[in-house]
Amino acid sequence: MVDSDVQRVQVKENIKFTPSLSEQRHKFVLDFVRKHKPQKVADLGCANCKLLWRLKYHESIEVLAGLDIDENILTRNIYRLHTGAGDYLDPRERPLTITLYHGSVVEKDPCLLGFDLITCIELIEHLEAKELAQFPEVLFGFFSPTTVIISTPNFEFNPLFSGKTLFRHPDHKFEWDRTQFQSWASDAARNYGYSVEFTGLGEPPPGAEAVGFCTQIGIFMKNKPNAQSLLNEKTVECTHTTVGTVIYPSLKEEKYLRKAVSNEVFSQILKMKRVLLESLKMKNDSDSGDECEFVKPKYNESKNDPFEETPKPFCIENVFYVPLERLFSFPKIKHLCGDLETLKMLIADEVTLSSDGSSVMINIVDEEDCDLSDNDGDDL
Amino acid sequence: MPRCPFFGRANKGLEKPGCTRETTMTGRARVKARGSCRGQEPHPLEPPQSSSGNHPTVRDSEASISTNLETVKEGVSAGDWNACTLIQRRGKTWNNFLELGIHTREKLAHVKDCKTGSSGAPVKLVTNLFNLGLPREWHLFQYHVTFNPELASKRLRIALLYNHNKFLKKTKVFDGTMLFLSESLEEKVTKLSSETQKGTYIAITITLISELPSSSPVCIQFFNVIFKKILRKLSMYQIGRNFYSPSDPVEIPQHKLSLWPGFAISVSQFENKLMFTANVIHKVLRNETVLEFMSGLYNRKDKSHFIETCEKELLGCVILTRYNNRTYRIDDIDWSVKPTDTFQKRDGTKITYTDYYKQQYDISLTDLNQPMLVSQLKNKQIDSGEVRIAHLVPELCFLTGLSKRVTSDFRLMKDLATETHLNPTRRQQRLSRLADNIQRNTEARFELETWGLQFGCQMSLTGRVVPSEKLLMQDTTCQPMCAADWSRDMRNCKLLEARPLNDWIIVCSYRNEDAAQCLLSCLRRVSSPMGFHIEKPKIIKVQENTAAFVRAIQQHVNPDTQLVMCVLPSTQKDCYDSIKRFLSLDYPIPSQCVLARTLNRHGMMMSIATKIAMQVVCKLGGELWAVEIPLKSLMVVGIDVSKETCTKGYSAVGFVASSNSRITRWFSRCILQNTKTDIADCLKVCMKGALNKWYRYNNCFPSRIIVYRDGVGDGMLQTIVDYEVPQLLSSFRDSNSNYSPKVSVIVVRKTCIPRFFTEMNRTLQNPPLGTVIDSEATRPEWYDFYLISQSAHQGTVTPTYYNVIYDDNGLKPDHMQRLTYKLCHLYYNWPGLIKIPAPCQYAHKLTFLVGQSIHREPSMELADCLFYL
Repeated sequence: MVDSDVQRVQVKENIKFTPSLSEQRHKFVLDFVRKHKPQKVADLGCANCKLLWRLKYHESIEVLAGLDIDENILTRNIYRLHTGAGDYLDPRERPLTITLYHGSVVEKDPCLLGFDLITCIELIEHLEAKELAQFPEVLFGFFSPTTVIISTPNFEFNPLFSGKTLFRHPDHKFEWDRTQFQSWASDAARNYGYSVEFTGLGEPPPGAEAVGFCTQIGIFMKNKPNAQSLLNEKTVECTHTTVGTVIYPSLKEEKYLRKAVSNEVFSQILKMKRVLLESLKMKNDSDSGDECEFVKPKYNESKNDPFEETPKPFCIENVFYVPLERLFSFPKIKHLCGDLETLKMLIADEVTLSSDGSSVMINIVDEEDCDLSDNDGDDL
Repeated sequence: MPRCPFFGRANKGLEKPGCTRETTMTGRARVKARGSCRGQEPHPLEPPQSSSGNHPTVRDSEASISTNLETVKEGVSAGDWNACTLIQRRGKTWNNFLELGIHTREKLAHVKDCKTGSSGAPVKLVTNLFNLGLPREWHLFQYHVTFNPELASKRLRIALLYNHNKFLKKTKVFDGTMLFLSESLEEKVTKLSSETQKGTYIAITITLISELPSSSPVCIQFFNVIFKKILRKLSMYQIGRNFYSPSDPVEIPQHKLSLWPGFAISVSQFENKLMFTANVIHKVLRNETVLEFMSGLYNRKDKSHFIETCEKELLGCVILTRYNNRTYRIDDIDWSVKPTDTFQKRDGTKITYTDYYKQQYDISLTDLNQPMLVSQLKNKQIDSGEVRIAHLVPELCFLTGLSKRVTSDFRLMKDLATETHLNPTRRQQRLSRLADNIQRNTEARFELETWGLQFGCQMSLTGRVVPSEKLLMQDTTCQPMCAADWSRDMRNCKLLEARPLNDWIIVCSYRNEDAAQCLLSCLRRVSSPMGFHIEKPKIIKVQENTAAFVRAIQQHVNPDTQLVMCVLPSTQKDCYDSIKRFLSLDYPIPSQCVLARTLNRHGMMMSIATKIAMQVVCKLGGELWAVEIPLKSLMVVGIDVSKETCTKGYSAVGFVASSNSRITRWFSRCILQNTKTDIADCLKVCMKGALNKWYRYNNCFPSRIIVYRDGVGDGMLQTIVDYEVPQLLSSFRDSNSNYSPKVSVIVVRKTCIPRFFTEMNRTLQNPPLGTVIDSEATRPEWYDFYLISQSAHQGTVTPTYYNVIYDDNGLKPDHMQRLTYKLCHLYYNWPGLIKIPAPCQYAHKLTFLVGQSIHREPSMELADCLFYL
């Protein structure tokens, strides 16, 4: 329902915000999310899904929902929320499910119960009087999220625009001044056990400070968290239809965790192996011509070794052993696995472990085959 | 077949007849390189932002799509609307892909009624084709839509039409101009009106253009669009034309690769049925960011050339950004810009890269000293002349595709093959699962039903196995136990004709003298049973460098030298190239290079020596074996065109023609030419050369000529029919005004959509060698057939597809098929059947040598021998 295009057209005459006001509103929500780290966030009147798209990048969020009355706009914009190759190559730490619902914001649908944050950005001014009257009961009374952000135009600011229309957008049913908005908001807060704070975006130009912000915002916080929502879930019928659900891969799923761990493990092992081979080669060059299998190298990287207390990788015959403990000391691997047993379990299928299960074994002279196949210019 | 590690690189993949290639690589885009933006004014400078539609590349199509559209390829979306636009424009991509509307069979009188053969043992085959049912009298209604006042925004046009009451519940496809409906509107011309959000009234006029039957090209393209939509509904992820399941990846962590299983799908008209085909494919992705790759390079021993190596390895690579799923090509690396530097956003404000990524995507960069990748963005307005570039952070970019360095890693490719080459049983499992999903998914079924399509069962058909061939040796004939590899059967058989090797030299380094001696003694031991006499060569020992080798050759060759053999100390390409260049251009003598390391495999020396001896026989102009050719005075020609290995803008045209009726001797010619020039012209030159050669050896011109044309890219068929065939025909007239041989031209395709499996012992297996399929899975408008002439020891065999586009030889289809099969036996670099007719493989080998090493047209003095093996 936010139509930034229209708004920009009318604003451009004498007042232009940089960044645009709609961008500022999004940024406001994002900053709020960064600060409060909600897990479940819903956007009512999500329209082109751009706010949801910005929100999906936030690691704290695990459930994201969007609701709009216009089904078409949702089906056309759901692509923004789809997963991409990058999401699979480098999965999120925590799960994320995004669902788009088609329906009215004044319907009591259980799918929006139990949220930490519900945003209504430039939404209420599109509601008919009857809907507006029902809205607080649905939003605060029924959905009853921990926090709510409501933004709406500040009517007092309108004279600063040169546009001839009464309201900023043809679909606006009303636009409120600060007193009207604040009294509506305070009533709602009082009735449903919330506290509310007011702020805004879009500073008025010098000289016109009295009109206040271009967009007014109310931030609602629930006074005491309650756990009754679960009861409602069963008693109320679903009215919203689901337009689409997108489930993101995350490290909470074992297959992605396994992949992330084995990738990291292999890249560390290969790094160590390369150092070893290079040191062998140098030795070889000076010895001129000795076959490398006869050399028993001492893997030594004492300088610059940040993991001195962990067992060092070593080499027996042609096999390179990397102790799991050593691997576990890499911060990323430690972070992913949590404990050594998990590490062992996760990589068991991908690597060969030594007989006592304490080290990863890797053959160092498998290069031979590679080289042979790569025989450039062998004409035979 | 045991892998023969001593086969040269040039042989790789070709001499392994079972090698099926199914791995898709993303590097394709790399080929059509854009100009580097170095030195150009970065204007305006911006990182990729997608928040407010700053990247306009995909927006229009996105806006109109009713389902998801994921684009990975360079912002080129292959979504509904683009495809439809292509229908409307009758654009290249789609037509090219399916090559619709080219009818060659109707001109061939002898196969007009029946193009199927009858000889051979019937074999029951299962295919990867699925029947698609349509109601009788089914039509697709195509409308043209205009708006008054005109609307520039496609997005708005689509939104208006989609939101109009009249179309709310209707099944429709609309690209902003063309509207497709499954049911007609009441009137031929429908006038509607609508109102934009800004309150402007718009009149919409919808005019019926045509009612299309299901077999029309537009309809076929349309069905392809519908199926793309369906696969997206199955949560598959589209890259290019294909669909993948990223949630089911196969990981190869030791190589930092991820494989996404997927399908290449299409809908096409086969004989009299509409069919959906699905091929199992894999997408290779790399689990490595550009930053990781860079630090890998940096940690190498030799740091001095770090920047240089980095640029060499990375420029031109296609990368995938982690946050917005776009692909970019790396055009440059800006080492002076760091993530902590600022850039100007669209709205004029300045922000550092670190802050930008934090704000926009909640990503914290860990390495604040990394340089910036520079990518030149494609311009939406082509004429604007403004170069837009994006700065990308290496840490946030994944590498895609397989680099050249990676593909030359044998171990990696082997591991990759294990995962990607599925045997028929596993392949069938994936196909059934896909078919199941399509039939079970409600949305997919809804989509099919609304258009009246019925997804049917998997098609099975009957093929024929043509009889196996006997090999003609000098005094015996030999019936090989297995047509895939008859090296054992040939032991102790004398080669057809081997000229004695009297005057030759071996060049080796001092270190490899022993290896050379060992090779020599083995050669002499294996050669006498073959009937190949080898005299003692002159052995020249040199230093281990390219110049020393070339100098030694220059000094010691004389006009009587028959062969130069080099034992190369290393895989250095320049040494091989220099030797080949000198001995193909400046002083044309056949040459044989052998890697010293190959000769260290003591256990295999005899079989290595056998192979080398046979190759040498061929290079001296000898003949190894033959098959029975019933037609006398028949010349077969193989043509291949290769762009891959050549200098940019050039392609190598290889032309190889038989010069005796036993089809054991070959005349060759390779012409390098600008890609822009039509290759038809040089074909004429080559053909004349081949005819003269034939005349010289046979004192007459051949009465029949069969041309196998390989190296035909997607969508080139029309050009070949329209230009190449007439040029070839005119070259006969030019040779002699009375001369008019009977000619056939056959297009050979190594890749095709159908796959065939046969059930044996209750499991699905590859069909036997010599299986021909010439019904049901073929196309009605062509004289075409599939032939399986290679054995796949890993994975599923890809049939070779033959399309006879011109034929006044009038051979029966049976004979044409058998002749083709016979020709697959005649490639002397492999004692077994190969995938394509020998002349095509020779032509390929020739273009490879020329493109890769010689870079010029080889001397005509060598034209009579297989010097390029």
